Amino acid sequence: MYSLADFYFHATAALPEIVLTVFGMIILLFGLVREDKSTPQVTLMTVSAFAVTALVIAAMPSEPFKGFMGSFIYDPFAQFMKLLVLMGGAACLAMTLSYNTQEKINRFEFPVLALFSTVGMMFIISANDLMLAYVGLELMSLPLYVLVSIRRDFLRSSEAGIKYFVLGALASGMILYGISLIYGFSGTINFTRLSETLALQDGVSITLSFGLIMLICGVAFKLSAVPFHMWTPDVYEGAPTSVTAFLAIAPKTAVFALLARILFDGFGDMTAQWQDVIWIIAAASMIVGAFAAIPQTSIKRLLAYSTIGHMGYALVGMTAASFDGVRSMIVYMALYMVMNIGVFAIVLMLRQNDRQTTDIDNLSGLGKTHPVVALMMTVLMFSMAGIPPLAGFFGKLFVFQAAVSAELYGLAVLGVLTSVVAAYYYLRIIKIMYFEEPIHVLDKPTRDLEVISGIATIFVVAFILFPQSLVNAAQAAATALVTI
Amino acid sequence: MAEFFDIYMLPVFEILGKILLIVLPLLGAMAYLTYAERKVMAAMQLRQGPNMVGPFGLLQPLADGLKLFGKETIIPSASNRAIFVLAPMLTFMLALISWAVIPFDVGMVLADVNVGILYLFAVSSLGVYGILMAGWASNSRYAFLGGLRSAAQMVSYEVSIGLVIVTVILVTGSLNLTEIVMAERTWWMHLLLFPMFIVFVISALAETNRAPFDLPEGESELVGGYNVEYSSMTFALFFLGEYMNMILMSAMTVILFLGGWKVPFGLEWEWLTMVPGLIWFVLKICAVLFIFLWSRATLPRYRYDQLMRLGWKIFLPLSLLWVLVVAGALIMNDALPMPAGVEG
Amino acid sequence: MIVEAIVFYMFSTILLLSGIMVISARNPVHSVLFLILGFFNAAGLFVLLGAEFLAMILVIVYVGAVAVLFLFVVMMLNVDMSRMRDNLKKNMTVAAVVGFVLLGELVWIFSNWHFSEDAELNVQTPFSAEDAMDNTRALGEVMYTDYMLFFQMAGLVLLVAMIGAITLTLRHRPGVKRQKINEQVNRQVKDVLRVEQVESGSGIV
Repeated sequence: MYSLADFYFHATAALPEIVLTVFGMIILLFGLVREDKSTPQVTLMTVSAFAVTALVIAAMPSEPFKGFMGSFIYDPFAQFMKLLVLMGGAACLAMTLSYNTQEKINRFEFPVLALFSTVGMMFIISANDLMLAYVGLELMSLPLYVLVSIRRDFLRSSEAGIKYFVLGALASGMILYGISLIYGFSGTINFTRLSETLALQDGVSITLSFGLIMLICGVAFKLSAVPFHMWTPDVYEGAPTSVTAFLAIAPKTAVFALLARILFDGFGDMTAQWQDVIWIIAAASMIVGAFAAIPQTSIKRLLAYSTIGHMGYALVGMTAASFDGVRSMIVYMALYMVMNIGVFAIVLMLRQNDRQTTDIDNLSGLGKTHPVVALMMTVLMFSMAGIPPLAGFFGKLFVFQAAVSAELYGLAVLGVLTSVVAAYYYLRIIKIMYFEEPIHVLDKPTRDLEVISGIATIFVVAFILFPQSLVNAAQAAATALVTI
Repeated sequence: MAEFFDIYMLPVFEILGKILLIVLPLLGAMAYLTYAERKVMAAMQLRQGPNMVGPFGLLQPLADGLKLFGKETIIPSASNRAIFVLAPMLTFMLALISWAVIPFDVGMVLADVNVGILYLFAVSSLGVYGILMAGWASNSRYAFLGGLRSAAQMVSYEVSIGLVIVTVILVTGSLNLTEIVMAERTWWMHLLLFPMFIVFVISALAETNRAPFDLPEGESELVGGYNVEYSSMTFALFFLGEYMNMILMSAMTVILFLGGWKVPFGLEWEWLTMVPGLIWFVLKICAVLFIFLWSRATLPRYRYDQLMRLGWKIFLPLSLLWVLVVAGALIMNDALPMPAGVEG
Repeated sequence: MIVEAIVFYMFSTILLLSGIMVISARNPVHSVLFLILGFFNAAGLFVLLGAEFLAMILVIVYVGAVAVLFLFVVMMLNVDMSRMRDNLKKNMTVAAVVGFVLLGELVWIFSNWHFSEDAELNVQTPFSAEDAMDNTRALGEVMYTDYMLFFQMAGLVLLVAMIGAITLTLRHRPGVKRQKINEQVNRQVKDVLRVEQVESGSGIV
């Protein structure tokens, strides 16, 4: 029999999630009583809830621990990824403070929904079981659909919401179909037991490969990797920019963690099957991310394609199917997150006559009118393009190193070539900022956004001084996932 | 041939016989419920009520029935014929099939299923379809408005009915109706369930679309609501269904809260225990039915927003809270019902 | 046994036919009604399997609540199916190709189907037949112990869905008159009614 004490024992594994959920409920009630005028307080409370949860995670022992019938796993990998997600989420919420008020979407539900979405992400990261992964994905996505269409009186926003929702539902359907095929073949959905079952298997089952591919397709949709990326530009453009920032930063990290767990923990013995699939997805994402971004005139659409490209680079690490690959993937995601926080903080600053502007042409002359902002943007764009000695360079370097050591020369070459193409549109922004005459003068940016993007910029510049500390942390995380 | 008869035909005849034994008295009860309604309302309003047809007007229901049968069945030309005809049949059928699981006495039940209370709840939640279909198929504004109102109303009150049922199940530890009646209840359990009894009776009024919640019919604004286009037999089936549902909800109330066929108040006097359980059951149903009639005679109709407010903002939180209270009280007193063989 | 077989085939035939009718009926309201018929037959199949709790929950949740709201919306919106059908015809070729490819793949999968050797070991049989537990209790025993986490998470998903629905639909319109029950109930006679002795011909100021 299962006693209450058993339950408490298992619940300790999910302590951070429980803490965050309880905070979420309290904050929700607080917002409900104090109504929309309390949104700044609610946002700050949510950010502090993230901070407290991060402290809880940091304080927890890092030995792997499985709870709830083995469907929930807590290990250094989960620890690291959860910290990343919490950090990204907190930064995004902090950025919404002034923007949401200016755009009149300062509903107190905004931070609360973001919080519950983050709870879903944390569950995904800790999923050791396809059912938990699925429920976690739903818990993560549902608030995102709502957040995307939160400005529901604007056609663009509600269109983006509907698009995201319908395609997201389709992806969920694919994931479920994949899960049922996997379960039908192996009789289990637990990653640990699945890998044991596969280890004894000789030959490859078509059923299982098909199930796995379905699963990968669904997850790739959530990652906005090609060819499941079609929703990304429209949703990024239609959603309020504060939501776009959240969308681009936190969920991607979590879903990457899930993909890594599925591929390494669950299907570690089927590397030959999934490696090709991931190879194609990675290559296609890099190519589309590089070329489709060139004609874009809206900075949000451009960033959407840039995200697609970055997903491709991170997937290169995954394709390597090695310890180095996972480590480089983790490092890449961490750096991607920091760079995006910085860039989105700047995009949130771009306002004209108190209205958000996303037109790239409006950046012209920024170097003269707002030199500090332009400098930060320059550094971040250089970093995204992967120009040494900035952080983005190291991310790409590690990924390509892993690819080369796994003898994926084609992918590595493709990665370098697409980086060069991508550099074109990143540099174009810098050219517009410095070498074109200002058309419109942008509003004075708010202090908090400047601080956030300043921190991100400093991190990007200073990363060369201490690359080893991040790599070491990623190493500890990767060790939990892949045995060398 | 004889074997075939023994194995297949005999049980079928047996069941058919039992069904008739339930349905025929029910139809009679329903007919005299209309009579009782008119008499009770008349008494409360200092009138005579029906007193012309037969002694004390006792043949009035038969006369009404005959009159309805004699009329022409009108099917509006703009209506959706199939659904228009299907709706009253569905309503009537649903009102009947619930009785399959109602225990009239120990063992006196057509189908003693494990999940009897869920079956009742499921069937009663289907009642809304008859009304919604009728309202839509009539292709008339009044009927459609009535149908929509009733759909919203029945769905709203089902939520609180469901939670009330949960509190009772917590106490009895079974979904089987016979076991719900037979479960031991101490005085504090009765006390604990009493507020839920009130919530249940009021929700039952709303669920059956009876006054003061008879907005779907709302004759002063909607002319007659969802059944305004119906006549003759089709109307009679709605009418029968409504009264049958009243009796059913009363039976549910009796089973959940009033101890079914057991002697009231747990009395053990011999002259009371000698009375068959069926009689007690019927008497208790009549008592609850009286509440239905009483409220119709005394209370004015609710406004639509008030109705929704009562359902969602008062009954739902209250019954949800009460689930917690009852569960807490049961744990505190270590009185959680446990199945045989399981330690607490 | 033969009765069971007959009942099984009856339920499944009606289920499949109503499934086809859902997508082919001209009138959307008919579609929803066929959907409901389908739910019923699925519930019947559950009963045949001895899962009466699931059958009842299916009826209560899907037929009693979800489909009612569905029907509600379809009736109110008055969807024009013929126009939607025209749209469908435009994309028919693409849809047909995708559909046939998927169908082909599925046929291929299922014709090559085999179970892993471990599948039988992996599939848990939590209840032995000797337990003679009714399946309500059996479900409850795993739901609130082994699957506690999923149960709570499902609750969280529903909470989020509720918050989301309210966020997207609730408008605070200014200047709307609302009934304030508290004020109404607490109103005293002396607040609203003044009784005065008026001399004839003088009037009240």
